[in-house]
Amino acid sequence: MTDPVISLHDVRLSLRGNAGNVDILKGISLDVAKGETLGLVGPSGSGKSSLLMLMGGLERATGGVVSVLGRDLTPMGEDALALFRRNHMGVVFQSFHLIPTMTALENVATPLELAGQSDAFERAEAELDAVGLGDRTHHYPAQMSGGEQQRVALARAAAPRPDVLLADEPTGNLDGKTGQIIMDLLFGLRDRHGSTLVLVTHAPDLAARCDRTVRLVDGRLDTSALQDAAE
Amino acid sequence: MSMVNAARIARRELRGGLRGFRVFLACLALGVAAIAAVGSVRTSIEQGLQQEGAVILGGDAEIQLTYRFANEAERAWMDANAEEVSEIVDFRSMVVVDRDSGTERGLTQIKGVDAAYPLYGETRLTPAMTLPEALDGRDGLPGAVMDPVLVGRLALSVGEVFRLGTQDFVLMAELLREPDAAGGGFSLGPRTIVRTQALENSQLLQPGTLYETDYRLKFTPGTDLAVLEAAAAEALDGAGPRWRDARNGAPGVSRFVERLGAFLVLVGLAGLAVGGVGVSAAVRAYLDEKTGVIATLKTLGAETQTIFAAYAMQIGMLTALGIAIGLVLGAAVPLALAPVISAQLPLPVVFAIHPQPLAEAALYGFLAAALFTLWPLARTEQVRAATLFRDGAGSGRALPRWPYLIASAALLAALVYAAATLSGLQRLTYWSAGGLFAAFLTLLGVAFLTRRVARLFARAKILRGRSALRMAIGSVGGPGSEAGSVVLSLGLGLTVLAAVGQIDSNLRGAIARDLPDVAPSYFVVDIQNDQLSGFLERTQVDRGVSRIESAPMLRGVVTKINDRPASDVAGDHWVLRGDRGITYSATPPSGAEVTAGTWWDKDYNGPPQISFASEEAEEMGLKLGDSLTVNVLGRDITAEITSFRNVDFSTAGIGFILSMNPGALQGAPHTHIATIYAKESSEIGLLRDIGSAYPNITMIRVRDAIARVGEVLGGIAAATTYGALATLVTGLIVLIGAAAAGERARTYEAAILKTLGATRGSILLNFALRSAFFGLAAGLVAIAAGGLAGWGVTTFVMETEFAFEPVSAIAIVAGGVLTTLLAGLAFAWRPLAARPARVLRASE
Repeated sequence: MTDPVISLHDVRLSLRGNAGNVDILKGISLDVAKGETLGLVGPSGSGKSSLLMLMGGLERATGGVVSVLGRDLTPMGEDALALFRRNHMGVVFQSFHLIPTMTALENVATPLELAGQSDAFERAEAELDAVGLGDRTHHYPAQMSGGEQQRVALARAAAPRPDVLLADEPTGNLDGKTGQIIMDLLFGLRDRHGSTLVLVTHAPDLAARCDRTVRLVDGRLDTSALQDAAE
Repeated sequence: MSMVNAARIARRELRGGLRGFRVFLACLALGVAAIAAVGSVRTSIEQGLQQEGAVILGGDAEIQLTYRFANEAERAWMDANAEEVSEIVDFRSMVVVDRDSGTERGLTQIKGVDAAYPLYGETRLTPAMTLPEALDGRDGLPGAVMDPVLVGRLALSVGEVFRLGTQDFVLMAELLREPDAAGGGFSLGPRTIVRTQALENSQLLQPGTLYETDYRLKFTPGTDLAVLEAAAAEALDGAGPRWRDARNGAPGVSRFVERLGAFLVLVGLAGLAVGGVGVSAAVRAYLDEKTGVIATLKTLGAETQTIFAAYAMQIGMLTALGIAIGLVLGAAVPLALAPVISAQLPLPVVFAIHPQPLAEAALYGFLAAALFTLWPLARTEQVRAATLFRDGAGSGRALPRWPYLIASAALLAALVYAAATLSGLQRLTYWSAGGLFAAFLTLLGVAFLTRRVARLFARAKILRGRSALRMAIGSVGGPGSEAGSVVLSLGLGLTVLAAVGQIDSNLRGAIARDLPDVAPSYFVVDIQNDQLSGFLERTQVDRGVSRIESAPMLRGVVTKINDRPASDVAGDHWVLRGDRGITYSATPPSGAEVTAGTWWDKDYNGPPQISFASEEAEEMGLKLGDSLTVNVLGRDITAEITSFRNVDFSTAGIGFILSMNPGALQGAPHTHIATIYAKESSEIGLLRDIGSAYPNITMIRVRDAIARVGEVLGGIAAATTYGALATLVTGLIVLIGAAAAGERARTYEAAILKTLGATRGSILLNFALRSAFFGLAAGLVAIAAGGLAGWGVTTFVMETEFAFEPVSAIAIVAGGVLTTLLAGLAFAWRPLAARPARVLRASE
């Protein structure tokens, strides 16, 4: 493997809850290569989404090293992480997480604006066109269906041409047919931009489309079940 | 519909606690508390005036005469009917203090008393002594006591000698408390009390001098004052002597207190309207959260009416709680502040829990809460069971069904009617309600426009690349925008404050700024007939004097119009209240324009004729040819109105409502008044020269009089400003409530923005900008609406020219921006500090 884009070494995550500390991740070590598509699978509560959040710098590891594009995210502050995401990452959530007070176009243009792109709106329009929403640019999220909202979220994540695309159960809230459309779009975007894609999913057919799949069980990698899609 | 089921649902729902209702309770409680407190203080003062009527009046009854002492018959009637009689003479004069360094002069209101004074209450003096001890004087000189304000102004010290007219007095003590001070009303000069006997050689009480005598009567307990009043009217012959008694010891004060109190209640109602916005927003937010519950209840078979009743019961219970808290506060605060309020007022105040103002405040609170919660409650009808399976956003109608609209209109009408009836200020209430309603609609319109403009502007190419600004403007225009509640709540509060500011500055401006340009320097009274030519000669030689006007002056009471009692014809017109200045003149005064009829010939000597001020004549319904009976010094003079003329009172020059031909009045003892127009630099010299030459003459410096009026107006403005501030505080609570309610949305937004790469600084800037926009919008509307209200009151009520006052206006916009900024930023820290992953996962 060439230099990994994402490198996790003995990553741990503990959260303090009402019942005391809960260990979510218990020493994960994992590398993701440039341009690779990695599927994270496992039962509910196994720590898949938490692992994805750590990769995106949205959650802070309580132990170990999270390195993305050669940068160690663990010592970075909130704003430094935000700047890093702005320049290198796109994130897609199960619940879309569009800003409700912004139109579709504004939602997609926001990361480009934050990155100081002068053609933010033109590019945002092109991205919306690419996901088939060229005629819904001025609609607010509440005026759109779930599938449409997720397409906006995809366009928003892909618009800055990120090195890394993180997707947390992007079809989890959608029906089968819409989910299929979203996945086609997601893989299409990834192919177009050459991004590294890490995908959390419960759907076996979706996992099957990834280059590699890792399974998490109770906060650990299930090495017995490691598969290589190439095999 | 089952009320039992509704009650069960309501009870179970309320088990969740009152967390979402803090703003609801605070707004309602504060609004009710403000009205209850104002009403309680007003009732406390009114009861004080009523219970202590005899002390305020200085006797169980008072008979007042103008220009003269009681004649033998009158005094005999008083002595026969009263247990005790006290005679007081009251007039303005000058205190003169001769020192080596020069002579000091100050205007004072002298009260000459007898040994019986005071019949009720006590004077309090420093150094401590009794009034008779003080008035006895020392070293052969009669004593005097004086208001500390005048003592300070003249730098007098106890034991020092001063002069009134031509009589020397020794200052024995400072007058800390004059028991009957409140009954006297407004006076330009601070009080000096001496014995009437000691004034005999002062030359101050000459025929025609402007003075009043008050005969205070003390009756045996249980005397029927109404019967005695009727007996006095018969025995003392008509309108010459004027009767007042302890049933209403200080009619001027009680009328003032009643009106100011009612006005403040109206300001309080504005506060309740602002609070209503918060109440409405709280109920809306609560019911939005309950959408799932309502949909579930509908799925389980609950009827729409049952659900409406269940939530109406919850809101009803909370309303009762809010009103109860407000009433407790409204009753307790005046009691707690009783010592402070008592110290500020020269009136006896009976602090207690007064049920009537509390009941009124509760009624206002109930009606306002019902009005502002009905629409949000009506939205429960629009929640469909399908909401559980599909997002219900956008399914609701903008307006509730017509029965709710009618009920809302009825509640609004009931609220306005209650305010009009209970305040007794019907016209003002309807105007205020109209103004408030218009401001409400304007603010709603502005909030709508702000959203629209922001939505359009957010798409403007010029904003592209300025992400914080675009996002802030976009959120102002986007769904879930706080524009409505923030602009409305803060805007209403600021509007009331702006209106008060504009009215106050215009009122002060009209008196303090505009008037002195045309007003005289001195108003001179008590110039005796034989002093007039000397006085005129002396002033005319002064180079600083540009103009002098003088006129004979008598006082009289208009008792009859066309042989009928005057009040039957012209009601309670101010010209008929008490005695008025009357003059005579062979020719029309210079500058006066005769608008109807003709002025009498220069040497006319027939039956008495009158020239009446045209504006007042029109108000009183007088016509040429009408006859007026005027009681002058106890003598009735009946005269025909032969002309009307314009009288301009706004210049503070000499202006008489009623002028007669010389033959009608010349024979009566009278004095002259004069106005002197002089350079400010000549004023002191004039006072010294005229004061030395004519010790009995009183010179009132117009600038001082204006300052004194300004002080009184300042007090009223301060009271009103406090009322307006209560409205603003309610607005702030609503604002904070809105900011707190939006915190979750902002936390969510901040989490997404961080995910997309926004730094905390840029997110904070975004939040700050949107808060500032709301404040700016509210402030600008407040200036426009407040300015409009100020213009209306200035133009139509005060009848003076309106001048926009920019300083308070700028302060209000700045205040609006700052307030929303602070409220917004106070609730920005948590969103900024939240970890995006947790926030986003929590809302999965």
